[in-house]
Amino acid sequence: MAKAIEGYWNDLRDTKVWRSVFRSGSGSSTLHRSLAVQQNVFLHLASVKMRRRSLAFSVTWYLGTLTLATFLILTTSGILLMLYYHPSVPQAYADMKDLQFVVSAGVFLRNLHRWSAHAMVFLVFAHMFKVFYRGAYRPPREFNWVIGVILLLLTLFLSYTGYLLPWDQLAFWAITVGSNIMSAVPVMGAKLRFLMLGGNTVNANALLRFYVLHCVILPLVAFLFIAIHFWRIRKDGGLYSGKPEPQKAESNG
Amino acid sequence: MDEPKPFRATIGSDSRKEPLRVAFVTRRTSPQVKADDDLYVMTWPEGIFRALVACEVLALVLVTLSLFWDAPLEGLADPIQTPNPAKAPWYFLGLQELLHYFPPMVAGVLIPTLVVIALVIIPYFNVNIQAEGLWLRDRQKRMRIFGAVMLALIVLLLVFQVYAVLAPTLLIGGAMIYAARQSSHEGRFHRWLFHRPLSFWIMTWFLLTSSLLTAIGTFFRGPGWSWVWPWSE
Amino acid sequence: MKEEKATDQKQDDVTRRESFVKLGLGSLAVAGCGAAVFGYEFLSPNVLYEPSPIANLGKPDRFPPDSVTSDPVAGVYIVHAAEGLYALSAICTHLGCFTAWKPELGIIACPCHGSKFNRLGTKIDGPAPRPLPRLKVWVSDEGDLLVDRSTISTADQFVRT
Repeated sequence: MAKAIEGYWNDLRDTKVWRSVFRSGSGSSTLHRSLAVQQNVFLHLASVKMRRRSLAFSVTWYLGTLTLATFLILTTSGILLMLYYHPSVPQAYADMKDLQFVVSAGVFLRNLHRWSAHAMVFLVFAHMFKVFYRGAYRPPREFNWVIGVILLLLTLFLSYTGYLLPWDQLAFWAITVGSNIMSAVPVMGAKLRFLMLGGNTVNANALLRFYVLHCVILPLVAFLFIAIHFWRIRKDGGLYSGKPEPQKAESNG
Repeated sequence: MDEPKPFRATIGSDSRKEPLRVAFVTRRTSPQVKADDDLYVMTWPEGIFRALVACEVLALVLVTLSLFWDAPLEGLADPIQTPNPAKAPWYFLGLQELLHYFPPMVAGVLIPTLVVIALVIIPYFNVNIQAEGLWLRDRQKRMRIFGAVMLALIVLLLVFQVYAVLAPTLLIGGAMIYAARQSSHEGRFHRWLFHRPLSFWIMTWFLLTSSLLTAIGTFFRGPGWSWVWPWSE
Repeated sequence: MKEEKATDQKQDDVTRRESFVKLGLGSLAVAGCGAAVFGYEFLSPNVLYEPSPIANLGKPDRFPPDSVTSDPVAGVYIVHAAEGLYALSAICTHLGCFTAWKPELGIIACPCHGSKFNRLGTKIDGPAPRPLPRLKVWVSDEGDLLVDRSTISTADQFVRT
């Protein structure tokens, strides 16, 4: 039975239509597997081969992968939530109540978004500590570590901007206190706060700015930096697996 | 048939016609190139399948959480009513706890900026790239520097009464002193500690401090940011 | 002779290219600065839909002598001291939380980090860096007490009653 299905599946992969999309046809040779990665616009950011040692769970605990996974869950659940959310005062709070009680699966989506957000912040920190403790930040991977720190800051900023959107007491006062800390920055603190809030207090302008930051600007920037982060892994010689790697010829200093 | 020509090495003056290649072989380098003996596997399916499994486990956990526990939603935002206590999300609670001890300029701007700068320059410190143990060389001199820095830190923390940071500092300091002991009958753990570089100690201190501050801010602070015991409710 | 002219021509060409490159880069720099300034001006709203800082607190005889009245809508405390009426801002000077008047303790307390102030606005306890500011008060033509929450007044300004 399974053989028959496999037969049909391979026949499908050999049709003209399928080959016009996927090029390589049926088969599981090394060539086919290489093409699966190399000729895929999403996957070809990764290399065709990777070190087997880096696949062991104890090496990375898959924390980087999991962080990316939470980011994707957040993007999907976030976009769906956007369909029922108006970023205006006080409509935003009414929409939260709607999502909770009226929208089908609304409470589930909102919960998923919230818990994934907490999980992502936690995973990002865990990933940073794991990379540090196994020494995967050392040359030639220094710059990728810096990209990672930028991604950490982006994650925190994304979480901060998202926190205001429910427009409840928790949100309002957490952001008020946060923006007052911002005004403690010397020289341009007050101006920075004014620009971030679009006004002197946390009100409708602030909600709209945080909404645009949270849903458009920051995700795009994060996406760019994630792409660079993955690209650098490849360019720096693949995932660090713990053993000394072949050195280039040493120069002075 | 002919005698092999005598070999003569010269250095030409025109580097375009006769480019120079110079390799410095130091004491610690073997001129033999290390062969790459790692085993490589195909990303598809080995790597991607494993990543997918990890993502599925994560999705299971998150979906289960979302089905059974609701995210909090308090009353409508009221600019006149400040809730008591007004707490930031958990990843900022460590910072909010620091705000209790230091003015906003220090705890809110200075310390986070210094932390970010410190994180960024970690891999650019050429000092300990081989990750050799802190106490391996110059033991006496390093002990003295360590003593001075620890004393300054402890005094600073005591003056500002930041006990939450003082405790991990003392713990890490104690561990470093223990690691520095040169005794022959210490066990595997001591030997492992002995070989930890300075970057390890600093990062572990940072991990312990931030975890403790966050835990205090989450569980031990009540109305007016006063100290509460979480079990006395 | 011809060679010299050719090299001279080449030199002229090189300097001409340099000047064009400089001109181009300079214009780009000017355009960049212009874009930055316009961007900053765009991000800074010119019109704010926030309530006017001037609030009407009612008739002055609403406030009995030696009392501290909290007006949460306006965000001020109206104190009727011996010298007359004055207004204190109710926003804590630490991180902007809303303080509360505690009549049983005779102090103004902030719920966020435990700052406490007396009825003069002076800080008695807590991490607040500055005392609560006194705000400009005056009586309008219709006899109402008005406060301007954006203007700080000095300690000797009172509305005589």
